[in-house]
Formats: sequence, structure tokens, C-alpha cells
Amino acid sequence: MTITIYINGKREILECQPGDMLTEVLRKAGYVEVKKGCDTASCGACTVLIEDKPVLSCSYLAVRADGKRITTIQGVAEEAKKFAQFLTAEGADQCGFCAPGFALTVLSMKKELRNPSEAEIRHYLSGNLCRCSGYEGQIRAIKKYLEAVHD
Amino acid sequence: MEIREYARPKSMDEAMHLIHEEHGTAIGGSAWLRTNTKTVMLGVDLSDLGLEYIREFQDHIEIGAMTTYRELETSLLLASRFGKIFSTAVGHIVGIQLRSIITVGGTVAGRYGFSDLNTTLCALGARVVFYPNIEEDLASFIEKGYAGPFLIEKIILPSSARAAYQQMRISENDFPIINTAVAWMGTEWRVAAGSRPAAARLCRNAMKILADSANPSNEQIEAAAQESSKELQFGSDIRASATYRQKILPVLVRRALLEVRG
Amino acid sequence: MIDNFDSIPPADSKTLKATQKFNVIAHDIAKIDGEGLVLGRPAFADDLAPANALYVKLVRSPHAFARIISIDPSEALALPGVACVLTWKDCPRVPITRAGQGNPEPSPHDRFILDEYVRYVGDEVAVVAAEDEATAEKAAMLVKVQYEVLQPVLDFEKALDNPIVIHPEPEIHEMFPIGFEPKRNIAAAYNMEIGNVEQELAKSPVQVETTVHTQAQQHVALEPHTAFSYIDIHGRLVIVTSTQNPWHTRRLLALALQMPLRQIRIIKPRIGGGFGGKQHIHIEPYVAMVTLKTGKPARLALTRREVFEATFTRHEMRVKVRLGANSDGKLNAIDMQVLSNTGAYGEHALTVFMVAGSKTLPLYNKVNAVRFGGHVVYTNKVSAGAFRGYGAIQGLTGLESAMDELAHKIGIDPVELRRKNMIHEGETSDVFRIMGEGTEGVAMTIESCKLEECIARGKELIGWNPDRLVWEVAPGKVRAMGMAIAMQGSGLPLIDMGSARIEFQDGGFFKLHVGATDLGTGSDTILAQIAAEELGVDVESIVVYSSDTDNTPFDVGAYASSTTYVSGSAVVKAARSLKKKLIEAVAQKFGVDPAFVIFDNKTFKTLNGSKSLSLYDFSFDTLYHDGERMKTIEATESFTGAKSPPPYLAGFVEIELDKETGKVEVIHYVSVADVGTPINPNLATIQIEGAALQGIGLALYEDVRYSERGHMLSHNLMTYAIPSREDVGRITVELVDSYEPSGPFGAKSAGEIGIDTPPAAISNAIRNAIGIRLTDYPFTPERVLMAIDKAKTEGAN
Ligand SMILES: Cc1cc2nc3c(=O)[nH]c(=O)nc-3n(C[C@H](O)[C@H](O)[C@H](O)COP(=O)(O)OP(=O)(O)OC[C@H]3O[C@@H](n4cnc5c(N)ncnc54)[C@H](O)[C@@H]3O)c2cc1C
Ligand code: FES
Ligand code: FES
Repeated sequence: MTITIYINGKREILECQPGDMLTEVLRKAGYVEVKKGCDTASCGACTVLIEDKPVLSCSYLAVRADGKRITTIQGVAEEAKKFAQFLTAEGADQCGFCAPGFALTVLSMKKELRNPSEAEIRHYLSGNLCRCSGYEGQIRAIKKYLEAVHD
Repeated sequence: MEIREYARPKSMDEAMHLIHEEHGTAIGGSAWLRTNTKTVMLGVDLSDLGLEYIREFQDHIEIGAMTTYRELETSLLLASRFGKIFSTAVGHIVGIQLRSIITVGGTVAGRYGFSDLNTTLCALGARVVFYPNIEEDLASFIEKGYAGPFLIEKIILPSSARAAYQQMRISENDFPIINTAVAWMGTEWRVAAGSRPAAARLCRNAMKILADSANPSNEQIEAAAQESSKELQFGSDIRASATYRQKILPVLVRRALLEVRG
Repeated sequence: MIDNFDSIPPADSKTLKATQKFNVIAHDIAKIDGEGLVLGRPAFADDLAPANALYVKLVRSPHAFARIISIDPSEALALPGVACVLTWKDCPRVPITRAGQGNPEPSPHDRFILDEYVRYVGDEVAVVAAEDEATAEKAAMLVKVQYEVLQPVLDFEKALDNPIVIHPEPEIHEMFPIGFEPKRNIAAAYNMEIGNVEQELAKSPVQVETTVHTQAQQHVALEPHTAFSYIDIHGRLVIVTSTQNPWHTRRLLALALQMPLRQIRIIKPRIGGGFGGKQHIHIEPYVAMVTLKTGKPARLALTRREVFEATFTRHEMRVKVRLGANSDGKLNAIDMQVLSNTGAYGEHALTVFMVAGSKTLPLYNKVNAVRFGGHVVYTNKVSAGAFRGYGAIQGLTGLESAMDELAHKIGIDPVELRRKNMIHEGETSDVFRIMGEGTEGVAMTIESCKLEECIARGKELIGWNPDRLVWEVAPGKVRAMGMAIAMQGSGLPLIDMGSARIEFQDGGFFKLHVGATDLGTGSDTILAQIAAEELGVDVESIVVYSSDTDNTPFDVGAYASSTTYVSGSAVVKAARSLKKKLIEAVAQKFGVDPAFVIFDNKTFKTLNGSKSLSLYDFSFDTLYHDGERMKTIEATESFTGAKSPPPYLAGFVEIELDKETGKVEVIHYVSVADVGTPINPNLATIQIEGAALQGIGLALYEDVRYSERGHMLSHNLMTYAIPSREDVGRITVELVDSYEPSGPFGAKSAGEIGIDTPPAAISNAIRNAIGIRLTDYPFTPERVLMAIDKAKTEGAN
């Protein structure tokens, strides 16, 4: 089958099988910023935005994405760079395998929640697992980032 | 997951035909289907049927089968009619990225033992509507299933209830060890427990003890809580033993009841 | 679930003295690869694999123990797109170890890359390669294997001298004596005694005995093990792989495939976490076999399930500790007896077990007698291997639980009991000399130990009050505190060696080449900081390239908390030597004695100021302008530690325990550490925060579970849940001022120590909360509640 998706503003026509999940199709098309950390929809590394909503691309049928707008971290590179400054300032980037999916979710949280409490931040991001950082540094970075961009 | 053929019907009749006559497999959020290694001969994608809605009617609320968990937990309508129960019940399930995919229909259809949502829906006295227009009590569907292929169109909730949800998990993103939901429907109490690890059941004896008083006494609450663990069966799995489940269910039922009664 | 984070005050940040002393060291320099990683630029092995690479899939054993009767690949081979199916008959019959360790390896050579026998569910049976992933998967399922199913040994308590022998094969052997007795299912064994433990125990008025059982744990590096291979223009085999130790990988592969070392090149790209899980050859042999067979590039990324079922876990251990003390708390004797489960193969069997004693017993160095011993046994479970904490966490869990039991028995503050007995600067322990990783150790005097400061600050941060270690917060809900202390090491003295090469480039910057392996820890950044500090330039002037056996100098790899201390020291030496060469070259150009030339602020000057030359100009002079004097200025140096200075840490925890359900929540975890000078305080802090959460995971949630027939039940992230962002309230980490004279700019190590205290500290807090010592990890709600109930019924009787 072929699907037409609008990824990071670019129209792409891609080949896929009906059972293919979006992660594999995107990675094969060169969007390797979409990571795969598990086989069970548990880790959040594969997060992309579909029509601006964060979803797990590993559990989303590629055929269902036909005609839809998809954003990876590369599609919001400028904002991501800004957030990366705060993350690296805390040393919380570590191995970085979780980072693209995590950062994308942070950016969408910024749009969705106004002045979130720490508990709300943790709750919104609980689907993004990180085994390296212990999360504390990421939380410090997010708080400082939100403060900076809201001023 | 392998899907041999894929269809995205534009009408309920067409979807119904593919499921009933062509042995098609309904695709809701696809998150659970994907963890299955079985080959799907014909996948019937329900995403173009307009089943993504939460609507209020005069004496009830309808939730379309393709409504996602994220919509349930962020719905202002549901929050105003049922309090925090939806966001508490589904808020632990992995993360918002999964909850933006998984559907009410896929959950009810699966009758999963571990389900947080099905326990909640049982307690709220939900009804499930199979296309075309076959309505059944959701709790009895969870218990007995459905003969033959089916297509869930929507579920129906009463217009409001005071309800609470309690669960136990080893860690926050894990599956529940046991869960319970209780609701005061205005005329009666409903108590359900799930993840025993088998699927949700109503605690009918406990409900009887609470009877029709909005303000049951502490003794009634304790008796109902104790009864809940006597009237249900429990099993063991990698997360906990039957004994443990049976032991803590009354604690959770009591806490939920106290939360609603105040 | 904690919903009020404002109630837990964050640590008030305090400045380390070291920050004022250095220009680059002890500063929070951002990780040099950070932005690229956040943006998801191609960096990991799977991002970089060539598009035409064959997909490799492994056929794995469905049985815990079996002999392969036959393998029929014909149906698989008939599938269009299938390139090859390889079995044990295609492998050289050479026993190897998969453990990435020094040469000769302290692990037995008890494994073949593919064998006629399979020894756990998931053990490799055959290698399949095809043009696309789906075909490879299908083909793997079509390979017909007939097994003679054998009775497995699954319980490690029953493995020793079991009539079922897991390794009967005659070719396997140890590389030097490690107590290897495969006929008795013993992979390694060891015993030592200093003084007379039984006598000292008998003499002691107070005695305690505590046994703990720590479970296997999964590493869960978020990137699954991934590699690809190809043949380069010279006909050599190149493997790009997520490994923690490129050189060990090259050496072990050469043995396994019977190839000359010079024919192999290993490149480590970015890797998505390791924690010890990638300190082995798990995937490299299989991609290599396919590439060698077909001549084509080959790629393999394990699924999460394969990572769980068929790489390594932490060693499950039973640790029994007996302590003898005077009634004032002075310790007289420690006896630690350990049974360790290495699973089907003996990778790291001896060494992890040794560390259970060697990096724990010296903490209490004032005893009159100390004894350590036990066995490491084979079972038909997935192999255990290296994992952050590496035995120390298991040993400390036993020791620090016993210490609290002793404190209860005597009736003193557990903190004071430790202070009375613990090691201090200027002291030593015989254990250092006697116990090493292989067998013998290296004597050392402790030159930096700020445990007192760690404890004092930890008490402040958690609000420690020995008279109030438990209090009720609601009916049935209590809060309680507990603590534990820990030590680790910094590299393996006289075994680990690391090297660095620095080369001066036109434009006035420096190429730093290191064999050291950045697992995401930020070691590339840290090593650049060290080079910059020593050279007196900014970090931007250092360009780092690491972990490529062809293009960077040797390094044993990233394990045993070695990178900062060992590889960092090599960088200091290389930078020092390069600076000397630069000054000599400039002096020659100036026509003066090198003693009269100084280098400061990127400028060379004569002492009297008569001549001056910028680093920038000189870089072009030496490479383009200076005629016969033109040369590449570079220096390569190596370092091996004469000692392994331990970092220290005091861990404190506040928990909330629900007595009605048994649920334990960590409200606040405080780790205060002495890591020497933190080269990059942020990165050291994150190492310790991440490690603390991994340790909390071990204490409360994570468990590797098997069916009665040896199938792993917790084989994915749905059945093996790791801590999420919502599990733990707050982790506070602080570093104390410390300076290790033997380390680079005073540094020790920070990578492992943070994981060591949570299991014991949480156990001690639970003990304070309910008066019961839990001994079986993890402390799930069920285990806690059952213990409470059991105590109630016993109390009633
Ligand atoms: C990683 C992970 C963790 C989870 N953790 C939890 C948890 O902790 N607690 C919890 O309660 N749940 C949990 N779930 C389950 C989740 O809540 C959903 O119940 C589940 O994913 C099914 O929803 P779906 O939309 O993905 O269904 P699908 O996968 O699309 O379908 C599931 C089944 O329902 C059928 N189906 C779907 N829609 C219809 C319909 N309209 N009519 C008839 N049949 C239909 C399908 O044919 C299929 O057989 C988890 C799921 C995953 C993947
Ligand atoms: S890859 Fe882990 S959630 Fe999608
Ligand atoms: S940084 Fe490694 S998993 Fe998050």
C-alpha cells in the first residue's frame, strides 16, 4: 500500500504493509529521530505528534496516518534547540535515546498546560521512560525552561 | 502484527458486514491488537465512522466506541457529571501518548481482566450498544461475553453519579494488582472490582448491604467492604497472589466508599 | 503517588570549593553531544546501518535445557530473500566467554557462539539473514529444530552438586584458578579469612545474623543491543556496535571466529545506555558470521524481549552476614557468606561475587577478624553479567541491613554505629590487599574519604532524628526513615589501562582521541574538560573522537567506574606531554631554552616578554610555514591505576508505608557523595540520581520472574516495569568537597556508587516502620503486607 503523509511540513509518499506500525515506516524513510525502545507501547521513545497530539508511533498503524500531519522532533527543531539548552545545562541529556520523544512531549505539554505544578508535569510526561537520569534533572530543566519561555 | 487485508469502511453497515460476513477484525486503537502475534486476515479500521464523541442527552451520556482514553480523562463534561473518576481510573495507564490512542470500544470488547476502565464502567452502570442497536448491561457483557462477532458502537452512561476509584499497583506504570470502583447512583450503590486478576464483576452482596442510603454507616461500609472479598473469586499471577488480592480489596472498597460518602 | 512536591524542599545549591580552583574542571559544561541527541540526529547503530544490510534474526531455544538433535533450514532457505541460515556446525568449536574483561579473562571459557546444547530459554540456536526484516522473522520461524529436552536446574539454592550437570562438555576451562568446578555446577568459588572470625564472634557480647536475598535485575538501557557489520575496502570486518568495550569485543570476537585481530575493526557510535549490560559480546558474533558468510552488510537490533530473555541480568544473590560487637557498638568481626547465581554461563561469575566482599568489607576496617566466601553456581536461567553496582550493591545490602539490626539490638542511633566503625582518611584495610577482582588485590591507603561529611550533610537534608525514625501520618499510614553507607572503586588497579592521544591542529584546536567509551554518561565531555584544563584552553578548542579500534588508542572500556579516573588520568598525561612538546617547538622557533617559554591564554611568550606567538599562528607555522621544522605535534599517553580509590556515599530515605495494603512509597531519597573533585558536577549528580532510582527500582518494583519450566514471565516492559516519573517523590543529590591526590584533578568515580544504598536504606526504613526485617527483594506491597500479617499472628500466639 502507499500512504501520503505530511511530515514536518513535507509531503511524503511511502510504501507500507497494512500491519506496519508508523515507527518502522518513518525510520525506513529516514526519520531516525523516532526511536524504538520496546515492543509493547511502554517507553515513549517513539513519540511523534499526529495532528499536533503526542502519540506512540509504535502502536499507531501507518495506514491510519494516511493523509495526516505528522511532526517529529526535527519538525520543531528551533523550539527543541531552545529546550535542549536547558536540558544540557542540567546535564540531564545523558544517553539521549529517550530525548527526542521526551522533548517532543515536553513541547506539547507547554502548549497544553498553563503553569503546571510539578505533579502535573510528572503526570503529563509519565509515558516517557528514562533509565539514565532518574528524572530529577529533567524536571529541573523543564521547570527552568517553562519559566524562561513564559516570561 | 501482520494484517493481510485492510479496510476502512465509511458506514456502520459496511463495517458490520465486514465483521459479520467476512470475518473481519475490528481495529480500535490497535495498541492491544499489536501485542498479539496472531495474523489478522482482514483488519476493519473503525476510525472513519464518526465514533469519537462524548455527548450528553437529557437522561444519559453516550460515548462513542472510538473515543480515546485521553478524551475521557480530559472531558469537562464527564468531570462535571462524575467527578475525577475517569482521570483517576485511567491516569496510570502508561502515558498520554498511549492514552491518545487506546479506545473505549477496544477496551470493552476485550473484557480484559486488568482493565481499569471496565471496572469503572461496571460501577457506573454503563450499558453497551452493539450495532445495530442491541443494548446490553456492560457488566453482564463483561461477565458473559457475546455470542458471535460483534461491533460496539457506543456505551451509555447515566447522566451523573458520585463515584470513586481505588487501585493497587506495584509501580505507577504497571498493570493493576486489583482495582475497584464504587458509585452512588442517587437511588442505589454500585460496587465493582476487577483485576482479580480476572475481569470486573459487580459485588452484589456488598451492594445489598449498602442498600439505598446515600449515607451508609461506618459499620455498613465495613461490612460491605468485607463482603466484597468474600463474594468474588481471586487468582494469582506474577504480580500478586489470590490471598493478597482478597486481603486488600476490602481496604480499597472501604476507602472508595468513604471517599464518596464523605 | 506523591502529589505535593512543594512539601519536599529541593537542596539549596552550594558551591564546591573546587569550582573556584579550576577554569574548566568542576564546572557544569554542557554535554557536547546534547543538542544533537535531543534533535535525534542519526547517532545510534540502528540509525547508521547501511540501507542494503541484511536483517539478522536469531532462532532461540524454547527450552531451559536441551540438546539439539537436528536443525532443518530447508524451508527457511526456500523463502525468497533469505540469504543464509547458520547453526553450530558453521562455528569454530572454540570455548569463549562473552564477558568484556581484561586478558586473560577471570570468567571461564564455557560458551560457544552456537552450541549443540542450549542452556536457557532464549539461548541462541541458529542465525538467519534475509533482505528485509519481515522475511528474516518469517524464516526464523521456519527453521525446524528438533530437541532432546533435558531436565533443567532452576533454583540456585539447589544447583550445587545437583546430579544434573549443566556444563558436561570437556573443552571448557578457566583461564586461571577461579574455583571452577563445572561437574559440581560451580562457575567460581573463593574463601578468605583475616584473623579468627569464629573466635571473635564468640567473644562478642552482641551478635546478629542477617540473610538477604537480592533478585536478578534487568538493565533496561533504553536502546536495545544493536550492531551492524560490513567488509571494508581492505577486506576487513568492521562492526559498528553498542558496546561498552570495543577492544575486548575485538579480542573476544577474534577468538570466537578464529580470525586474526588485525582483520577486525570495532566502532562504537553513540549508545543508548549501558549500565554494564553492553559489556559483553551478545550480538556482534552473529552479524559478523552473516557478513563473513555472505560478504554483505548485516544488521541486528534485538527486540526488548530478546534483551530481557537472552542478554544478561544482575546476579541474584543470597548474602548472609554475621556481626559480632561490643555492647558500645564497636565491631569485632564480620562474616559474609554468599551464594551467587550466574545463570547458564559464567560471565563475571567470580568478579561480581568478589566485589560483594572487596568493595563492602573495607567500610568497617576496625574489626579484629573478617571472613568472606561462597560459591557462584550455574542454573538454567539467562546468564548474569556486569551491572552497575557489580556485587557491591548485593554485599552492601546484606552488610548494611545487618548493621541496622545491630543498632537495634544495642539501642543506638544507626548513624552513630556506623560512625564508630567506619573507615577514615589515612587508614587502610587488609581486604584491599587480599581481595581483588581476579583473585589478589592491591594494598592501598585511603587518601580521600569524606564519609563523615556525607553523613552529616545527609542527616541535615533528610531531617534525621534518631528519636523519631517512624511517625504516623494517618490511621494505618506511617512515615519512616532509614539509611546506609557505601563505597565502590575507581577502575581496576594494575588491570585497567586507558590511553589518550592529543594532536595539535591548524586553527589552533586539538584533536583528542580516546579509546574510552561514552555510554551516555558524558565521558567524552568530561575527558575534553580534563584536556582543556591541563592545556589551559577552553573546552571548545578540544574536538573529541572516541571508541574506534582503528583510530583511537587503546582503552579497556567503560566499566568498573573507570573512565574518569583511568582514562581521565591518561588524558592528563597526554595533555601535559603535549604542552611540553608545544613549548619545546616554540622555544626552538624563538631560539631560546624551553624553560624560558610560557603558554598562557592561547599565547606563547618568552619570560621577559620579548617574543610572543599566538597558538593560532603557531598552528599554521608548524604545519605549513616552518620548512624543515614542520611537524605534527601530538602526544599519546597511557595510565593504569596503582590503586582504586573508593568514592563514598551516605544514603538516607524517607518512606511512607501503608500498613493496610503493604504499599511502600519513597517520599525523599538523599544521596550525599564523595566522588573526589567532580570534573563536571552536573553530570556526576545525574549519574547518582539515575543510579539511586535504579536502586530504588531493585528495592521495590523490579523482578525477573520465571515459570516452573524456566520461561521468563517478565519478558517485556509490560511485565517488568521500571520506575516512571511518578513513582518517587524526590531524589536529592549533593557532592561534598573532596580531593583524591591520585586522581585527575582530584577526581575519583561517580558512575556506580549511587545505586548501592537504596536497597539497604529502604529495608532499614521498613524495619523502623513496622519492626520487621524484610529479606526477599523486591519489597512488593504483597511481601510487606504478608510480613506484617505474619508478625501479627506470631505476636498473637
Ligand atoms: C502497554 C499497554 C499497557 C496497558 N496498561 C493498561 C493498564 O494498566 N490498565 C488498563 O486498564 N488497561 C491497560 N492497557 C489496555 C488499554 O487500556 C486498552 O484497553 C487496550 O489497549 C485496548 O484498546 P485498543 O483501542 O488499543 O483496542 P484494539 O487493540 O484496537 O482492539 C482490542 C480488541 O478489541 C476489538 N475491538 C476494538 N474496537 C472494537 C469495537 N468497536 N467493536 C468490537 N470489537 C472491537 C479488537 O478487534 C480487538 O480484538 C494497556 C495497553 C497497553 C498496550
Ligand atoms: S517504542 Fe516503546 S513505546 Fe513505542
Ligand atoms: S537519557 Fe538515557 S534513557 Fe533517558
